[in-house]
Amino acid sequence: MTGYLIRRVLQAAVVVLLVTMITFILLRAIPGNVAVAILGPSSYRNPQVLAAFNHEYGFDKPWTAQYLLWLGHLLQGNLGFSWTLDQSVASLLGSHLPKTIWLVGVSTLLALIVALPIGLWQAVRRNQLVDYSFTAMSFLFYAAPTFFVGTVLILVFSVKLHVFGPEGPQGGLVSDVTDWRDLTLPVVTLALVTIALFSRYTRSAVMDNLTEDYVRTALAKGASGRRVLWRHVLRNSLIPIATLLGLSLPAIMSGALITESVFNYPGMGYLFFKSAQQQDYPTLLGFIIVVAIVTVAGSLLADIGYAVLDPRVRYTRS
Amino acid sequence: MHSLQWPGHNRHLHNRPRVTMAVAAVLALAVAACSGGGSHGTTGTSGNGPTGGTKVSGGTATWALQPSSSPNYIFPFSSSTYFSSVNAQEFQYLMYRPLYWFGNGASPTLNTGLSLANPPAYNGRLVTITMKGWKWSNGETVNAQDLLFWIHMEQAVGAQDWGDYVPGLFPANITDAKAVSANTLTMMMDKAYNPDWFTDNELSQLTPMPLAWDRTAAGPSDCVTNVSDCAKVYSYLDSQSKALSTWVNSPLWSIVDGPWKLASFNPDGHSTFVPNASYSGPVKPTLAKFEEVPFTTESAEYNVLQAAASGGSGQKLDVGYLPTTDAPTKPAGATVGTNPVNGYTLAPLIQWAINYFPVNLQSTTGNGPVNRQLYFRQALQYMMNQQAIINGPLHGYGSYTVGPVGTYPATSYLSAQGKQGDPFPFNPAKAKQLLASHGWNVVPNGITTCQDPSLCGPGIAKGHQLVFNLPYATGINWIESEMSQLQSNASLIGIKLNLEPKPFNQVTAIGAPNCVVAHNSCNWDMVNWGGGWSFVPDYYPTGETLFESGSGANSGGYSNSQNDDMISQTLTSHSSAALFDWQNYLSAQVPMVWQPNGAYALYEVSDNLRGVLPQSTTGNLNPEDWYFAQ
Repeated sequence: MTGYLIRRVLQAAVVVLLVTMITFILLRAIPGNVAVAILGPSSYRNPQVLAAFNHEYGFDKPWTAQYLLWLGHLLQGNLGFSWTLDQSVASLLGSHLPKTIWLVGVSTLLALIVALPIGLWQAVRRNQLVDYSFTAMSFLFYAAPTFFVGTVLILVFSVKLHVFGPEGPQGGLVSDVTDWRDLTLPVVTLALVTIALFSRYTRSAVMDNLTEDYVRTALAKGASGRRVLWRHVLRNSLIPIATLLGLSLPAIMSGALITESVFNYPGMGYLFFKSAQQQDYPTLLGFIIVVAIVTVAGSLLADIGYAVLDPRVRYTRS
Repeated sequence: MHSLQWPGHNRHLHNRPRVTMAVAAVLALAVAACSGGGSHGTTGTSGNGPTGGTKVSGGTATWALQPSSSPNYIFPFSSSTYFSSVNAQEFQYLMYRPLYWFGNGASPTLNTGLSLANPPAYNGRLVTITMKGWKWSNGETVNAQDLLFWIHMEQAVGAQDWGDYVPGLFPANITDAKAVSANTLTMMMDKAYNPDWFTDNELSQLTPMPLAWDRTAAGPSDCVTNVSDCAKVYSYLDSQSKALSTWVNSPLWSIVDGPWKLASFNPDGHSTFVPNASYSGPVKPTLAKFEEVPFTTESAEYNVLQAAASGGSGQKLDVGYLPTTDAPTKPAGATVGTNPVNGYTLAPLIQWAINYFPVNLQSTTGNGPVNRQLYFRQALQYMMNQQAIINGPLHGYGSYTVGPVGTYPATSYLSAQGKQGDPFPFNPAKAKQLLASHGWNVVPNGITTCQDPSLCGPGIAKGHQLVFNLPYATGINWIESEMSQLQSNASLIGIKLNLEPKPFNQVTAIGAPNCVVAHNSCNWDMVNWGGGWSFVPDYYPTGETLFESGSGANSGGYSNSQNDDMISQTLTSHSSAALFDWQNYLSAQVPMVWQPNGAYALYEVSDNLRGVLPQSTTGNLNPEDWYFAQ
């Protein structure tokens, strides 16, 4: 297991490195003058300024030299400086990331709390009205774009019914806890799509397990159906869900990007959206590094979770 | 010195002013009058929105920033990186007033009442500026030394660090500047300029700075006296300005001469201002607070606006905006359309600007020789249906661009010819005739080719096809519609436009600079970033930076000695005739393709907030004029 972990961590490091390189190349491949994009379109009136900027930040060097310079800074913990937001990227991520973690965390927890019982119920009542109803709803929410779901929720619950606020909490992390009326719609928007996904997987996993021999054995030994379902079937069904949870983290993060934009919620998605519009390369790179690490970590955690939840699984070099 | 502008929305782009629609625009469909609840009579409507009611002192007015836009620099001497309307007009100007204030209602002209100095006196090459003696919040007088401080700073580091710097113009065009008394400063110009131009385009850039700012980290400095000291002072002030979290309590930035002081600031864009009790201007703030709030998208802002308008929870926006796509189309002849937001007055703003997209006369794609032909540019201009675009995708909220001078708001700068409207109304027949008469075999819905090179023009070979790549900025609905429409129209005369949607910054990076001057690639034919050029903070619409040969902002590289001579005349002549003659000439030259100037924003002003309308056509904010009414 230890050897496996070491190999996986090393693989993860290589993946992150490749992501940084590809992202860097793609951002540099954008046509046009980077300095003009950063300094603003009027700056070309003064070529001296453009030249000085290019020189100061290495834009007059080959991209390989620029990348190595940036990577060197990254390895020293320096993610760069956002010219457009006038702050270090590390400080920007530090102020925005906790809000996104909170949003993603709460919505994922909510999704699990709702999706697992629904999936279980659907499996037990498969091919009945309940199953069909939840299946239809799952497909609906899974197919619906996040921005659409968010906009509909705002129009119904905020503009028409005045139950919740039309935008996420605008203050710091404390306001995210206290302003539950403002937090509700972003959380529900993000959770609805995730619930649809998780409930489908849970349904499928439970249905698979219900046909296993150990279920028949347990029932034959006199265990109640409820006990078998909750103590045995659900536990075994969680294994693929754990994997799915890990692999879903990037998707949930990207969902947060849209959700934060729709709800004007100042988290990482908001930051990314703003930076992408303004071609704020350092911030974009910083964001992508974080997402890459989350993705790789999610995958790693899924693998580890799989091993922990299922003792039958043994990772060997063979 | 004008500035590139961004259409519809956006923020960090330079000098993007907002210009109010005509005062009359607000008149027609201002919110229905309601009976007054106060002792001062009844409420009603006027060109300035709802009127009447009882004036209430205090209260907090909340103002929505444009999408993805937030202040990030407080020092008014801003480099290109930070030279933006959200930093200057919507933030710094509230606290640090420029020497001369521009905006009289809808007119982008000098406002002597709000200026820190009396109108400049010109005597040949000599300019005399007399300060009014207004006060800084620390009790000191805003005097000639403070102005000299700025001028020295610009002389020392302006070429690198002043965002509105143009080589050869201010301060290079003054030979001497000195404080001859506490309140009087004189400058000697290198030649006698047109006073209107010098005031509106050169002195308009100056902002007095308090002497407390004349320091470095080591202690007090003397930039006011020695230009050589200024670089270190700038470096210190720049570093202080970049420390966003320190702004509120900074001993530097808390010294203001404007009507507002910064009370709180969050780098995400939330700002709160409170009145400066020492403000010397004619109108003191009535509001207790003025707040600016940021939004990711105009949809997110509109959600909040709608929720507040329907009585829902969430923050109340006192001044927000309606996305153009959500605006009912303005009926023909009306000044404003139906407002879908209850309790608000719809106040469309059109900038003091022109809109165009450049045709690259220096193109290395093989189309350069074609683009250099006047007849071709005129033919293309005839296919730009400005009327259809204003009535269609702009929902009626836009103005024509007829040449190098803006048509909105109505100003004395626009010639009689310009006032007659679009000089190239949509006319495929004329366009076809122009091409055919110059040796082209026009193939409607096909590809037109050059048949007679001797007529087509120098450098154009027989069989050359009229095929062009046209990158345009995405994210602006009406520009996307306009481009599709132009593509379709152009095909009627066999011009094939290959549209390439790209992000705004990419489009400007490709085509906004004069590619030869900026040493960029000239491998492009045309680009459209959608925003053209705004006349802020250089309000006099001359063409020295945009249309003169070799200018960095002359995106398409149009070069014409007659045009250059006429521009020179506008800078020195005391007569409007020079400006009229030049714009009439250049309008027909089509150095760029003229396109409609869409509304910057369709503002929504809460009906219980007074004094917002008419907003300054220059985009300058004056919340000190605002108050709530009951």
